[in-house]
Amino acid sequence: MPPQRILITGVSNPLGAAVARRLAPQVPFLFGCDVSDPISALEEMDFVHADTRLSVIGKLVRQLHIDTVVHLAVMVDSPRDERSIHETDVIGMMNVLVGCAAPSQVRKLVVKSSQAIYGAGPSDPSFYSEELANWDRYASGVTRDLLEMEQLVSEFALRTEACGVTVLRLGYRVSDDTSLAKYISLPIVPTFAGFDPRLQLLHEDDAVEVIVRSVVGDQAGVFNVAGDGVVLLSQAIGIMGGRNAPILPPYGKWLSRMGLKMLGGIDMPAHLADFLAYGSVMDCSRLVAQYGWKPAFSSRQAMDALARGRQMEQIEPPSPPQEYELQVYLQQRRRRARLLN
Amino acid sequence: MIAETTRQERRRTSKKAEIVSPPQGFRLPKPLRRLRRRAPMYALQAISELSTRMRDLTGREVIDMNRIMEVVQFMYQQRELARRGPNYSVDDFGFDPEWTESFLTIFKAVYRDYWRVETKGVEHVPASGRALLVANHAGVLPWDGTMIKTAVFAEHPRPRHVRALVASQFMGMPALSWFLRRTGQAVGHPDDTRRLLERDELVLVFPEGTRGTGKRFKDRYRLRRFGRGGFVATAIRTQAPIIPISVVGSEEIYPMIADLRPVARMFGMPYFPITPFWPLLGPLGMIPLPSKWRIQFHAPVEVAHLAPQAAEDQHLVMAMADSVRDVIQRGIYDNLKLRRGVFL
Repeated sequence: MPPQRILITGVSNPLGAAVARRLAPQVPFLFGCDVSDPISALEEMDFVHADTRLSVIGKLVRQLHIDTVVHLAVMVDSPRDERSIHETDVIGMMNVLVGCAAPSQVRKLVVKSSQAIYGAGPSDPSFYSEELANWDRYASGVTRDLLEMEQLVSEFALRTEACGVTVLRLGYRVSDDTSLAKYISLPIVPTFAGFDPRLQLLHEDDAVEVIVRSVVGDQAGVFNVAGDGVVLLSQAIGIMGGRNAPILPPYGKWLSRMGLKMLGGIDMPAHLADFLAYGSVMDCSRLVAQYGWKPAFSSRQAMDALARGRQMEQIEPPSPPQEYELQVYLQQRRRRARLLN
Repeated sequence: MIAETTRQERRRTSKKAEIVSPPQGFRLPKPLRRLRRRAPMYALQAISELSTRMRDLTGREVIDMNRIMEVVQFMYQQRELARRGPNYSVDDFGFDPEWTESFLTIFKAVYRDYWRVETKGVEHVPASGRALLVANHAGVLPWDGTMIKTAVFAEHPRPRHVRALVASQFMGMPALSWFLRRTGQAVGHPDDTRRLLERDELVLVFPEGTRGTGKRFKDRYRLRRFGRGGFVATAIRTQAPIIPISVVGSEEIYPMIADLRPVARMFGMPYFPITPFWPLLGPLGMIPLPSKWRIQFHAPVEVAHLAPQAAEDQHLVMAMADSVRDVIQRGIYDNLKLRRGVFL
């Protein structure tokens, strides 16, 4: 049975907005929720201001008779502090799972996870397959949160047979706003001396495509999703036209991270620092076998696409008619909030 | 007057001239620029002249022009590689074949002139398809792996790249890990071995691991334990023939007198060697001694008749690992007898 009533959490980030745009013509009822205002207007979607960190999300799922939940409110690459990331990832997941549990009508749950769950280390094998995410290894903040989150999801999947659960471990993305993309497109890129890691990247379009396919399809389980092949960090810097400056000491990464933050204003989370020293590459054969589909952009093409996007002139797209309504709505909301205060 | 007459005027006004010669800052005068461009050629001519004179004077080859040309070729290749910019591709393990081949000219010189390696039985290495090369491990730094790779690339009728498996401690070290990855090495993890063999590559493993490289000089040419025979299990699962290799000469390159365990632990290294020259002479102590090397490739041990389930049979796996170890140990003794002296 195709999904009838879909709830997308975290719909105000670019990925969520793109998924909503793709799903809107395919389903009769589409709901989106987030804590911040939507970034683009979508007539077919009902937007709800709701925080996944509060238990209201469970009530929302039941009251709206949702049958498919797409949980994208998972923070991986965020400048916020570790505590709020933990709150969003783990507590948010817990609340969503409460909503999906027994008396509800949820038949399908799609969860966004990340390549960051594997961490990156020198003694790891060259490729991460799905079963290699474990607690044995040193785990930095986000890695720990994601592990905890996926543990909750897998326990839920074991308990609830009626609900198909798909966990997508998306590769690192280089769209305009990720911290990896910001870092690589610096004019002079400080890198860890003596390291040239292999990067595996995922294009934004492929990320949207795989989420939509998971919502519509009936695959269940954990899947690695990333582009074919690898691109070396030095190559990526060359493609972006920057200069590689191997000046960061390879030991004591926290010191480099602090220095970058204070001197260059570059935010580099701990998992990203490990990724930029040792690299991490996932084995996506399970995805190809079960979906019969693989990302259209290879890692190299994703990198080229970023470089092309930077070169092209930024032309403001003509705003659709709904955009005006959105602006009016937001203005009213702001005015109401001011009156209440 | 309608048309400009002088060349300078025409160059100043023409659109084309701007494109052809963009305005520049300081430039050397033309004769000096020409000299700089041609300097390498002049130097080569001078060396070849000197070489001819020396041969006429002494009656034998003092400066070998072939060797000089190899160095020139290496430098030229490096310049060409730098010109690629980011426009090259590496495989999923981070292996860059062109870059590796440029370094092989240097390793070939070491192979032929410094350690005077004699290689036997390289025809046992298949010209295509997968195989697992198993060798003894010695010397403080893994020069034996480099020499086996060079042997297969230089002596085999169909040159192939050997992909060695490296202990994970080395993969965390700056510069070293970068070089190892770029030249096609992978982490010593059963997963990596399987993946490489499934891509029909030649995979080189040292089952002794750091127990082999970190042994004292007095224990030379005595094989250590061969792990838990994991390499045999992987070979059976992937149906890859095992080719045992005996290397003689690698034990003497760094005669290790003592091992400073506490220092090693401090730097996260598997061992910290003390040799007659290291750390006494500083970086000079890192130059390996010019011992005489012999490498023998033995006949392959076929595993094609075994079913993949046989890999679970611990008894069979250990027996096969032991037989491979015996072949290598016997090969070492045979080659030691053939060698006239350590440095001859």
